[in-house]
Amino acid sequence: MSSSKSMVSAPPPHGSDINATWSFLEQGIDQIMNRLEDGLTYTRYMEIYTVIYNYCTTKAAADGLSNSIQTRGATLGGSDLYSHLIRYFQKHLEVIRKDSEKFMDVSLLEYYTKQWVKFTQAATYVHHLFTYLNRHWVKREIDEGRKTVHDVGTLALVSWKDSLFSHVERHVMAAVLQLIERQRNGESVETSLLRNVVESFVSLGLDENDSKKTTLEVYRQYFEKPFVSATEVYYKMESEKFLSENSVTEYMKKAEARLAEEESRVQMYLHASTNKPLIQTCETVLVKGHTEIIWDEFQNLLNQDKQEDLYRMFSLLLRIPEGLDPLRARFEAHVRKAGLSAIEKIADESTETLEPKVYVDALLEVHKKYNDLVQTAFRGEAGFVASLDKACREFVNRNKICKSSTSKSPEQLARYCDSLLRKSSKNPEENDLEEILNSIMTVFKYVEDKDVFQKFYSKMLAKRLVNDTSASEDAEAGMISRLKEACGFEYTSKLQRMFTDMGLSKELNDQFRDKMSQNHDASENAVDFSILVLGTASWPLQAPTTSFNLPDEVVKTYERFQAFYQDKHSGRKLNWLFHLSKADLKTNYIKANKTGYAFQTSTYQMGILLQYNNGLSYTLEELQTQTNLNLDTLSGALGILVKARVLLLENGTNVGDAGTRYDLNMDFKSKKIRVNLNLPLKAEQKAETEETHKTIEEDRKLLMQAAIVRIMKTRKVMKHQALMSEVITQLQTRFKPRVPDIKKCIDVLLDKEYIERVEGQKDMFSYVA
Amino acid sequence: MPVVLTSLDNETFTVDKEVAERSILIKNMIEDVGETDAPIPLPNVSSSVLKKVIEYCEYHRNDPVQVQDETDDPRKRSNDIEEWDMKFMQVDQEMLFEIILAANYLDIKPLLDVGCKTVANMIKGKTPEEIRKLFNIVNDFTPEEEAQIRKENEWAEDR
Repeated sequence: MSSSKSMVSAPPPHGSDINATWSFLEQGIDQIMNRLEDGLTYTRYMEIYTVIYNYCTTKAAADGLSNSIQTRGATLGGSDLYSHLIRYFQKHLEVIRKDSEKFMDVSLLEYYTKQWVKFTQAATYVHHLFTYLNRHWVKREIDEGRKTVHDVGTLALVSWKDSLFSHVERHVMAAVLQLIERQRNGESVETSLLRNVVESFVSLGLDENDSKKTTLEVYRQYFEKPFVSATEVYYKMESEKFLSENSVTEYMKKAEARLAEEESRVQMYLHASTNKPLIQTCETVLVKGHTEIIWDEFQNLLNQDKQEDLYRMFSLLLRIPEGLDPLRARFEAHVRKAGLSAIEKIADESTETLEPKVYVDALLEVHKKYNDLVQTAFRGEAGFVASLDKACREFVNRNKICKSSTSKSPEQLARYCDSLLRKSSKNPEENDLEEILNSIMTVFKYVEDKDVFQKFYSKMLAKRLVNDTSASEDAEAGMISRLKEACGFEYTSKLQRMFTDMGLSKELNDQFRDKMSQNHDASENAVDFSILVLGTASWPLQAPTTSFNLPDEVVKTYERFQAFYQDKHSGRKLNWLFHLSKADLKTNYIKANKTGYAFQTSTYQMGILLQYNNGLSYTLEELQTQTNLNLDTLSGALGILVKARVLLLENGTNVGDAGTRYDLNMDFKSKKIRVNLNLPLKAEQKAETEETHKTIEEDRKLLMQAAIVRIMKTRKVMKHQALMSEVITQLQTRFKPRVPDIKKCIDVLLDKEYIERVEGQKDMFSYVA
Repeated sequence: MPVVLTSLDNETFTVDKEVAERSILIKNMIEDVGETDAPIPLPNVSSSVLKKVIEYCEYHRNDPVQVQDETDDPRKRSNDIEEWDMKFMQVDQEMLFEIILAANYLDIKPLLDVGCKTVANMIKGKTPEEIRKLFNIVNDFTPEEEAQIRKENEWAEDR
């Protein structure tokens, strides 16, 4: 529009004369390029600008006039000016280049960066002064696709690149690398030189297609590449030399420091994009190049528990791919060994009488130590956590105390729980208990035979509930909810059912007592009676091994309850577990003590003692006839009574011998009013443990058979091998089935014709519907 | 800090820096050279025109800086001139062209745009003869040339 022919006002003097214009401009530009420090007045600035403006506008007007109207639109003057400018820059930079040959190393950098700063500052002036050319002639040329024309500012950079940079770049880079090497060697250097060089290299990355954009090509090719490879050479030499003279731990400190140093170098004067290639190269040279020797140091650091060095090693190796793999394996082996030797130590001290607490604490101590190590030195890295878990699983299930059977750990663990949850003077505080139970769960997580734990736990829980020796209902519930969380609802359903039965029994007792007081006089309800009715399916209780005649004193109560219960739940059968029951008896025959003693006895002892309401002396045979107890149970019960001197053994030396006679001790004495005679028999306990282990084997067989049938029912036909592995997968949350056991179960099922072999096909089974 | 501007005919105008810097030329120069209290000579602008230009810049002193984006094209429409600008441009033809030239010289893009739009509105809807008359243009086309141009631009004609 500005060139529309009739709208241009009269040209200023000499407006379109290129020679006059340029010779004027050249002086001005010279002043800017070379003597800017002398300053430039507004007047001078405006003069130069106006001359360019006038030249462009009048030139365009003149061209416009001479052009034929068919060349569409107006031509914008400026190409002459532009080519003069190109030549000027070339000449100017030629001088600088010649000058630069006088310098090398640091002085070259000083010269280069000084010239660069000066040139770019001046170029900004020139760019602004030539705004009119940029706005019109240059814009038009670019719009028409001429790649070789740039705005004046870019032209200055392009000229710098072509006329100076491409000639001196090698020398500059050599000086840069030397300076950086000196800095790496500990000298302090002028980093602003380096920063300016980097800035110049980055600025020269001009996008050929769009002058407004920049690329990092120049910087990458001329700076970053040589710099990174010099870095590689430098650190390769240094690391090898250092390692030959120093320990690995010292080396790791060095490498760590060097990596930090290089990272800060990027911040200080390099382009941010160099961070990745530089650090990667350093990691490769400093860490990957020496992994073997670093790995070999790992065991020493573990043995000496050098957490700081371990963390350093971890973070160095974390930087390179697969750097940590060998450490994880070695760590696993180390933890396993530590676990095994910890158990070996306590196993030596006391094999059979080992306290569960000692055993569990020993396991926990090893776990805690290495868990802490993983959290601090290895920052909780998943791979090390997995190694720790694997190692713990190994030493928890297979150590000296477990010997051949993996069921020892869960048994010990369950016993430990029992000792914590059972009423005792040593019960821990509530908060401590929480913590201990949590740590028990840590071990529990590693236990393979979770079914064994379940068995023992439910046995001991049953005992706590039946004997009313549970320390705290909250603690019991807390432990069960922990187990439920770890193993699911099914795992604890029976345990929970046991608590339900306890609650129901309490209601039942109340109802029975109400009913009795309605129907009978107080004199008829002399026996204080209380009962637990427990579901056979949920409670791991065994039937009594002996017959028993209930003494007359309680028969009535027994019958009444039996009737009451049948009336309430017809069809249910009550099995009376007398061997688990107990009684309180009050004496009124001892003269020395007027208030009388209270004997706490087993039901069987009650059966014996109540006989003495009718006579003062009985033979073994008489007692056996009257109580109908088998000999073992009878002599066991008598043994305690004799030992406590409630009965006196006459006519014989050993309790239970034929023909022995037992007299009631009328002069019985005790410091306590309440005398507990209901003591467990050692032999009984041991037998029970063995019994439990045996039932576990039986249960496992059933579980395996059930699993096989379940699988075969859905799959119909299955290969032996596939069946095996599926059975193992299904059951491994409870226990680790052994292959020979599964085979035996398959044989059993073949016999029972649940499954059959597929004819003509080897190792193939099919389900028999 | 105020800035002193000197016109072609040596008249001085003192304006706020932000007003003067509506001109990209002045803005760049102050940026490059730095602030001094020396007057800024504007050898291509007469005092009467400079007065108008300063009036415009005063009024628009707080306008956001226009982003030069050619694809976003409100400038090419000539009917979106602000009311104030429209009034501002109600000057004689001579002054209008002087303002346009000054805006071009001083690099004040929005003013240049408003000026050109105003001229475009003057042309709009007129025949070549009317336009020639309006701008006092002598027809220097030969009849053949004129026929050729008519033919080439037939598509653009309002029918």
